Amino acid sequence: MAVLIGRKVKKVYGKKSTAQEVLKGIDLEVNEGEFVGIMGPSGSGKTTLLNVLCSIDFATEGVIEINGQSLRGMKEKALANFRREQLGFIFQDYNLLDTLTVKENILLPLAISKLPKAVAESRVKELTYLLGIGDILNKYPNEISGGQKQRTSAARALITNPSMVFADEPTGALDSKSATALLKNLQSINETKKATIMMVTHDAVAASFCTRVLFLKDGLIYSELYKGDKTRQAFFQEIMHTQSVLGGDGYES
Amino acid sequence: MSLSKLVFRSMKKNMKHYYLYFFALIFSVTLYFSFVTLQHNGEVFDSVQKSGKASAGFKAATYILYFIILFFVLYANHLFMKRRSKEIGLYQLIGMTKGLIVRLLALESILLFVGAVAVGIIVGFFSSRLIAMILLRILEKETLVKMTFSTQALQQSIVVFVILLVIVLFQMTWMIHRVSLLSLFSAAKQADERVKRFSPLQMVIGFLGLVLIAYGYYASTKLFDINNAGNLFNNMIIILATTIGGTFLVFRFSVAFIMNTVRLKKNGHLTVHDVLALTPIMHRMKSNAKSLTLITVLTGVSLGITTLSYISYYSSEADAYSQIPGDYILHEDQGQDFLKKLEENNIAYDKVEYRLQGVTATIAQLMAEEQKDSPFYNMEGTIYTIPLSDYQRRNPNTTIAGNDVILTNYGGYMAEMFPLEKDRNLVVSAGKLKETLHVKAIHDESIIGGTVTSGGGGPIFVVSDALFEKLSTQAKLFPWHKQTSITLQSKKDLALAEKLYEESGADAITIFDNDGNTQNYKIKSFEAERKGNIESLGLIIFTTAFLGLAFLMTTGSILYFKQMSEAEEERGAYTILRKIGFSERDIMKGIFMKQAFNFGVPLLIGLLHSYFAVKSGWFLFGSELTTPLWIAMSCYVALYAIFAVLSVGYYKKVIRESL
Repeated sequence: MAVLIGRKVKKVYGKKSTAQEVLKGIDLEVNEGEFVGIMGPSGSGKTTLLNVLCSIDFATEGVIEINGQSLRGMKEKALANFRREQLGFIFQDYNLLDTLTVKENILLPLAISKLPKAVAESRVKELTYLLGIGDILNKYPNEISGGQKQRTSAARALITNPSMVFADEPTGALDSKSATALLKNLQSINETKKATIMMVTHDAVAASFCTRVLFLKDGLIYSELYKGDKTRQAFFQEIMHTQSVLGGDGYES
Repeated sequence: MSLSKLVFRSMKKNMKHYYLYFFALIFSVTLYFSFVTLQHNGEVFDSVQKSGKASAGFKAATYILYFIILFFVLYANHLFMKRRSKEIGLYQLIGMTKGLIVRLLALESILLFVGAVAVGIIVGFFSSRLIAMILLRILEKETLVKMTFSTQALQQSIVVFVILLVIVLFQMTWMIHRVSLLSLFSAAKQADERVKRFSPLQMVIGFLGLVLIAYGYYASTKLFDINNAGNLFNNMIIILATTIGGTFLVFRFSVAFIMNTVRLKKNGHLTVHDVLALTPIMHRMKSNAKSLTLITVLTGVSLGITTLSYISYYSSEADAYSQIPGDYILHEDQGQDFLKKLEENNIAYDKVEYRLQGVTATIAQLMAEEQKDSPFYNMEGTIYTIPLSDYQRRNPNTTIAGNDVILTNYGGYMAEMFPLEKDRNLVVSAGKLKETLHVKAIHDESIIGGTVTSGGGGPIFVVSDALFEKLSTQAKLFPWHKQTSITLQSKKDLALAEKLYEESGADAITIFDNDGNTQNYKIKSFEAERKGNIESLGLIIFTTAFLGLAFLMTTGSILYFKQMSEAEEERGAYTILRKIGFSERDIMKGIFMKQAFNFGVPLLIGLLHSYFAVKSGWFLFGSELTTPLWIAMSCYVALYAIFAVLSVGYYKKVIRESL
């Protein structure tokens, strides 16, 4: 079943005279339980696509549906509610509130929901156990490492049991060890909790944890790779290959 | 690119940041210039001159005003520089020397000052007319105000603001030289150091703050007690120290501590209010404690001063009435000409005559034991009595018998300082006669004029007619024997009656005291007394109100500026919240709470401070407390609310822009 459907998604920045078409009509579908990676060179429109799909930004044209609900025509408040209840977000720069402790940050999306405390508490327990951050719950973000911050951010994204999690370069600011740990966490959550994840990355290693990888080039989908039964190593090689075909700047960071 | 070009470009680009600073400057110049213009205006000055030491009062007020402005502009400049720390860091990063940056910013500041002084002087010129009209209205003068542009005022303002500019430039240079490149980039973050763990010690200190304030309030209620009289100055210092120190401790420790306790109770399950109001306030308390204390104290002081001067203005009528209880007061058998003239002019009036008879007594016999250190305790004085039948003309239902008496006419300052107790006996004498009176009741209605009771509000006794007759045998020993109170039936006749009163010479009275010497008195009409009060107080009231307003505007603006920069600093947090699905309205709910705290708490504590300050000594200033206090406080609350609404508006804008 498709959780996310995008049809002819276009995004134009600027006014008529200086208009720049960043997304030129993208069609895509994400099924439940998929872990989709979006790759592409700088300026290919990866982050724009993610922002448009997750309702942070508006599409100039095209249809976006999440869980059968079209984003077009929804009011600011309805969109905010929708994001809070249906979507989870992980950002490159963590986006944690530094005045709140780790636990408070994780529970933040539930601040205006009426979920019973006991349920919320058990979810925090489960997620922090899965992500290995159970022992830092009472610390402030400035007291923990980047990897721990990003795992906190992941826990916050998952606390509402969202239909879909959007991750924008989640490993961008992490060293390779923490990055791998985080990706393994995401992968296992994808498998055990059947969470649908869409991740933008320019790192082939990160992308190799996905079940499917889309390649963007100049605002269009250039190609698509499925992991299938391949090992991660083989999938990684395949991604590297596509990237080198795609263009010279695939290795930049 | 030349330096001046760079300056213009960066100013154009930064317009949004500048306008706040620019308005702060214009506001200061306007305030100052209009005040100085007023001083140099001949008509205003002439009418004020009559009310005593006008020029000295004006001068003192000008200095205070200048210090308020100095403080305000330095604070605004400091905030402004802090906001631009990144820009300054960037200039340094691309290789500009600190000297060059100082010159660049100095050029900007000079341009800003020139602009602000020009605009402020124009606005100030017009507003000075309005202010002059208000002043003359307070003084009840009907002079036409012609405003002329005073070059003296212009010169004075320019000199003063050039000095201010130099001080600002020094501050700027000092700020730029003091900071390193690295810290410039994180200047905005320096302010919010994390509150981590709360020790029991902090709880104790926070509690101590509350205790200190409570003690200060308690001490203030006892400030003018007689047994403390010798230590008045020391006590005032102690009260000031405990309340100000306590306020600081409350802001520095108690607030954060209480909030953290509330928060820990929630065990991570915070509401929107907690996220947007409680936690940011808590974490900022450490750096905000000083400025909040300052603002609170300033609010308290300025409100206190404004209220006290308003009390004296408001009481001027009541004070005049206790001195002259009736439109005209005639004594003995003098002033018959005046009454005749009133009749000739068909002016209808009511006349009440009181027979008077003095007795000698120590009033201290009616005081409580605790007051026995009072200098009045053993002092003998003359107190007049009136017969019941005269008293009944105004209070027909009163009865007394035997040696029972009613003590009345006792009000205002005396009554507050030296409270008397009823149901006590006192021994009075008149010549060889000795009587023991029993005081049945104490009233504060004004009946007998201040000339008789040696000052408005002195006590008199209402005695039975029989007793009065008996005392009257000693009439020769006391100077006053009769008072006639005249009350006009229609206020329309007042102007004519005033003229007749002057013409007939009824205001001059000659009596013989018990040593046979003649004494001359001048007794004003009630209207003349009231106007005199207003005139002698008018300027003080005007200047204190003006300064109070200036204080209020500066504290309000500082709170607003602080909130503006807090909003900017928290922009990132709003972006995060909106991304993860909080709507603008959800976030605003928390912001309302936060503003209620930021404006409400300093205001509330400031109001409390001033309430106790006013309460401790208001009776020295006038006879009415409640109404003026409420009016002054409501004005303050209303003006603070305006600033709070402004800052909520700013937050709204920041939140809207944040996604």
